[in-house]
Amino acid sequence: MPEWFQSGLDRTSVRLSLQFAFLYAILSAVMFFSAYRMTDYEVRDWITEQMTADAAALERTYDRHGLQLLTERVAVLSEFSFENERIYQLRGPDGVHLAGNIINIDQLGARNYMPVTAVVSDKMPDPEISGYWIQSDRIGPYTLVQGTGDHVIAEVMEALGAALVAGYILVVCGGLIIGKWVGVRTERRIGRIMDTLEDVSRGALARRIPVTAGDRDDLSRVSGAVNAALDQLQTLLESQKQIATDIAHDLRTPLQRLRQRLERMIDTGASDDNLNAALGETENLIETFKALLSIAQIESGIQHEHFAAVDLGSIARDVTEIYQPVAEDEGQSLTALVPEDPVPVCGDPALLGQLISNLIENAIRHCPSGASFQVVLEDGVDGPLLSVSDDGQGIPDQEAEKVFRRFYRIEKSRTSGGHGLGLPLVKAICRLHNAAITLRDNAPGLRVCVAFPRGDHA
Amino acid sequence: MRILVVEDDLETADYICSSLGAQGYMPQHAADGKEGYLQAIDSDFDVMVIDRMLPKLDGLSLVKSIRIADVPTPIIILSAVGGLNDRIEGLEAGADDYLVKPFAFSELHARIAALMRRPPMRTEETLMKVADLEVDLVRHSVERAGQPIILQPREYRLLVYLLRNAGKVLTRTMLLEAVWDFHFDPRTNVVETHISRLRNKVDKPFASTLIHTVRGAGYSLHA
Repeated sequence: MPEWFQSGLDRTSVRLSLQFAFLYAILSAVMFFSAYRMTDYEVRDWITEQMTADAAALERTYDRHGLQLLTERVAVLSEFSFENERIYQLRGPDGVHLAGNIINIDQLGARNYMPVTAVVSDKMPDPEISGYWIQSDRIGPYTLVQGTGDHVIAEVMEALGAALVAGYILVVCGGLIIGKWVGVRTERRIGRIMDTLEDVSRGALARRIPVTAGDRDDLSRVSGAVNAALDQLQTLLESQKQIATDIAHDLRTPLQRLRQRLERMIDTGASDDNLNAALGETENLIETFKALLSIAQIESGIQHEHFAAVDLGSIARDVTEIYQPVAEDEGQSLTALVPEDPVPVCGDPALLGQLISNLIENAIRHCPSGASFQVVLEDGVDGPLLSVSDDGQGIPDQEAEKVFRRFYRIEKSRTSGGHGLGLPLVKAICRLHNAAITLRDNAPGLRVCVAFPRGDHA
Repeated sequence: MRILVVEDDLETADYICSSLGAQGYMPQHAADGKEGYLQAIDSDFDVMVIDRMLPKLDGLSLVKSIRIADVPTPIIILSAVGGLNDRIEGLEAGADDYLVKPFAFSELHARIAALMRRPPMRTEETLMKVADLEVDLVRHSVERAGQPIILQPREYRLLVYLLRNAGKVLTRTMLLEAVWDFHFDPRTNVVETHISRLRNKVDKPFASTLIHTVRGAGYSLHA
C-alpha cells in the first residue's frame, strides 16, 4: 500500500467518507435492484390484466351479438395501431383464421412470450419490439389470441433504469460528501481537544476544551471527561504549589535563625550556647523534613504493600500503656476503654500505632496539667470506631477543618512548639486506611474520632 | 576494630571516617559499590557502614552480594530515604541496622558499638548480671542486692534491652525502635519518662547508680 494512501486512510475524515460511500453503495444497490424487479413485475401484470379485460369484453360482444360482430370488432381492433402495439387473431374451432392481423404463431400456449420472429403478422412490427406477450382465451367455440409488444416494458424499464442509475450515482457521491463532512467536523473537534491538551502541557493549565451545552454525543462526553480531569489536575497542582509555599515559609524561618546564629559565631566566636542552639535548629529542620517525607510517602500509597489483618485493640492498648506514665508525669490521666476481643482492621500496624500516638501526644501537649484523656475503641455503625478525647479547651469550630492543613497551627498553640504536621500526618494515615476522621466537641474538650471500615472481610 | 565505610559523598565519608578515627577505630573508605564489594570480600572488617545510593553498584545490591559471598560482618545501611518500606527492604537485603540521614555521629557510633560486640550466643543466656543486678530470663524475675524488684512488662523489656547491651551507649532512637517498636520520633518524653520509672525501681532504692545518662547521646547501663 503506498504511504500517502495509508496515511490518508489514517485520517478520520477520509476513512469515514469511504465508509459512508461504501455503505450507501451497497444499500442503494439492494434498493434499486428490488425497485427494478418490482416495476418489471407490475408492468407485466398490468399488460396481462389489460389483455384479460379485452378478452372478457369481446366475449360479452359474442354472447350478445354473435360471431358476426365479434369478427368485426377483432378486425377493427387490429386496424388501430395502439401505442402499446397490440396484435389480435380470432380463430375458428378448427383453428381457421377468422379475423385479425396475426397470421400464424408457432407453439401457442395459454400465456407466453414469443420473440418477434415467431409471430407472423400482416403488419410491420415496430423496430423497437423484440417480442410479444401472447395470451389466448376461449370465446365460445372460438379462440382469441392477443399479443402486446414488449417495447412498453422495455421503455418503462429503460426510463426506470436511467433514473435508478442517476440516483445511485447521486447517492454514492452524497455518501462520499457527507462522510467527508462528518469526518472533517469530527477531525476539527478532535483537533480542538488536541490543541487544548497541547496548550495545557505547555503550562496553560486554565485552558479547557470548548463544549457546546446540550451536545450529548461521544466526543462531547470525552471532552467533558477531559475537562474534569484537567480541573482535578489544576486543583492538585495548585495545592502542590500551596504546599511548596508553606514549606518554603515554614522552613525559611528556622533556616534564617540558623544562619543568624552561624554568622554571629563567625563574628564573636563559637560559644557552647550558640552551637547547641544551632544544632537545635537543625534538629527542628530535620524533624519537619521527616514529617513532610512521611506524609508524602503515606499519601503516595506504597505502604499498602504492608497491609495485613491486625488487631486494632492490641495496638490501642499498647500505645495507651506507653503514654500513661508520660501523661502522669504531666499531672494528667490517660485511660483506655478497649475491648479484650480482637478488633480486626486491615492496615499497617506501625502506621496505626503512629496514628494513635500522634493523637495522644496532641492531647498531652495541648492540654494543661490536670486534664484527663480517654482512648476508646468501640464497634461503630460501619466498623471499628476509635476515639481520643480530652477535657481541655477544644478547638473552635471555624478551626476544625484547618487543623488538618500542613503547617497550620492554631494561634494560641503557635508558641507551644510542634511543626504543625501532626494532624496532616494523622489524616494521611486515615486516608490510606479508608478511615474517616472527624473532630467533635467533647463539651468540654476535643474528641477526635476515626471510623475504620470493617476489616474482618479483608 | 576495622570498619569499612562505603560512601560516595566525600565530605560525609570524611566526617564519618575522621570521627571513627577519633574514637579509636580503624576506618577504611570505599567510594563506590564495586570498590566496596572488593574490599568487603577481600579483608576482614568488624562492621561495615554502607550508603544506600552508590555509583556502580547500589547499596542494597552490595549488601546482597556481600551476604551471597558468605561474609557475615554486621552491616549498617545509611540512607537518605527514610520510609518504613525502605528500612524493611534494607533489613531484608541482609543488613543488620538502618540509619536515616541526616544523623548525629553519636547515633552512628552507638549503633556500630551495639553491633560490634554483640554476644554471639545471647539467646542461650538465661541469667544476666551486672554488678548486683540480676535478671532471670526464664522466670522473668529481677533482683538487686538480693531484693526482688517488681517491674511492669514494658519496664522489664527496657531493662533486658539495657542489660543485653550493658556497657554500651543506647540512643533514644535505638530504645524507641527496640523496646517500643516506634519508628517515628515522638514529640513527648516517652523515653525519658520510662527510663525515669525504671530508675525509680532499679537505682533509687540502692546505693549505686547503674542506669547512666550519656549526655548528648543516650543511656548506658553499667556498674
